[in-house]
Amino acid sequence: MNEPHAIDWLEVITENYLVPGGKALHYLERIRERFPLVMHGVSLSIGSTDPIDFDYLRMVRGLAARIEPHWISDHLCWTGVEGRNLHDLLPLPYTEEALASVVGRVGQVQEALGRQILLENVSSYLSFHADEMSEWEFLREVASRADCHILLDINNIYVSSVNHGFDPVKYLQAVPKSRVRQFHLAGHSDMGGHLIDTHDHPIVEPVWDLYRQALTIFGDVPTMIERDDNIPELSELVAELDVARDLAARHSRQAA
Amino acid sequence: MTNLQIPLRELQRDMQRHLLGEESEVTAAIVDAPPLGAADRLGIYRNAYQVRLIDALHETYPVLHGLLGDEAWVELGQAYVAAHPSVFRSIRWYGRELADFVAGCYSDAPILSEVAQLEWTLSEVFDATDAPSLRRAELSAVEPSAWGFLTFRFHPSLRRLTLCWNTAAVWKAMSADETPPGPELAAAPIHWLLWRQNLQNYFRSMNAPESAALDLAQRGCNFAQICAGLSALLPQEEIPAAAASLLGAWADSGIIIGLGSSDADASQ
Repeated sequence: MNEPHAIDWLEVITENYLVPGGKALHYLERIRERFPLVMHGVSLSIGSTDPIDFDYLRMVRGLAARIEPHWISDHLCWTGVEGRNLHDLLPLPYTEEALASVVGRVGQVQEALGRQILLENVSSYLSFHADEMSEWEFLREVASRADCHILLDINNIYVSSVNHGFDPVKYLQAVPKSRVRQFHLAGHSDMGGHLIDTHDHPIVEPVWDLYRQALTIFGDVPTMIERDDNIPELSELVAELDVARDLAARHSRQAA
Repeated sequence: MTNLQIPLRELQRDMQRHLLGEESEVTAAIVDAPPLGAADRLGIYRNAYQVRLIDALHETYPVLHGLLGDEAWVELGQAYVAAHPSVFRSIRWYGRELADFVAGCYSDAPILSEVAQLEWTLSEVFDATDAPSLRRAELSAVEPSAWGFLTFRFHPSLRRLTLCWNTAAVWKAMSADETPPGPELAAAPIHWLLWRQNLQNYFRSMNAPESAALDLAQRGCNFAQICAGLSALLPQEEIPAAAASLLGAWADSGIIIGLGSSDADASQ
């Protein structure tokens, strides 16, 4: 990380730093002195029907006050009910009922945090008979009705498109351009027929293709590559980042 | 298609029950279409739940995992996950009751529960609240006439354990990738002091006078009361020097973060 310009900014998992003190917070503050940060949460559970956890939001706001992230994001999903946390990003049924519930909760969360949030589309492995609209319609309606931003995960769109058999480009085209503030890219695991979002492989060619399409639609949006496991040398990750930078730069030149 | 009408709350409760391995009818609400059937689609989440929580347990309990070996570890993890659904926003806090759980599963190997206790306590030391330590010079600057009234505030990371087995030796060997000694019951329970200094975790054993003195100091007794408390454990003439040396050691370890004064009757 000492190489100049190898990395422009970093995304940290919010929950990893919701601890009282110690090494993690200490180094987070040192990193913050050198790099812009964004906070990415995994347990907001915006889609849950449990009451909103305002203690959690107070802690998130406290951490944000300490490290001044450029933005705070979490996922368009639920993680548990009845006080339990399944520590997973569980899909919602895409219904009017769920939409109304999520929209109301985003409003409360944005008020409690004193800022707009970004919501990310998740990879999913199941869908419900109850669905009344597509995932992209649901995402679009949440963002516009609740007035929040979108963290568009290109890999998640691809993974879900294979698992549910939809056209990922149709998804991209339906997302409101003005709401997208960040892209995620990542690798996944091919289980032979279906895909699992494991963040432990390099990005595959179809996801790069979809990223190219996303650049055409949304322009050069800040892009972050997720890698949680099977982590290679930093140089290999930076090389992957350079591919993304190169694609974005090429897009900008063409657009100019 | 009757499931179309399920309220969101009901659907989530039903799906959660399924993922927790309880009775559930949620499969009927899930689309069953290529590339996967509804049960397999749910199975991805159900399996991921268990794997993720067992991974989280490993983060906190690597030595216990090493002692048990992979097979027994996964068995323990599955049983614990089944008995203890997570109620935590951050997965870091998952596994708090593992030592008690292990004591129940492995009553024939009580050292395992102590290892779990040690690992959980070290995890608490690791990310406890920060506080600047008192400098040794601040202690030296106290006027001799004020010493008797002196009270002490301790670092939020300070923890204490009483262990009956050679648990610490086993932990140290395992953490250094060395072959651990076999379990040995100590002649008497050993008191341990655990703390964090300069972002580093430490622990060491305490003898009976130190443990007694720390008990009193943590309860807010002043220095004179601490010395009085040592009279049952040490010859009278050794007490002032012993107590002063304990304070010096505590200050050097960074576990004292502040001084106060209490004029409570030292004879009590």
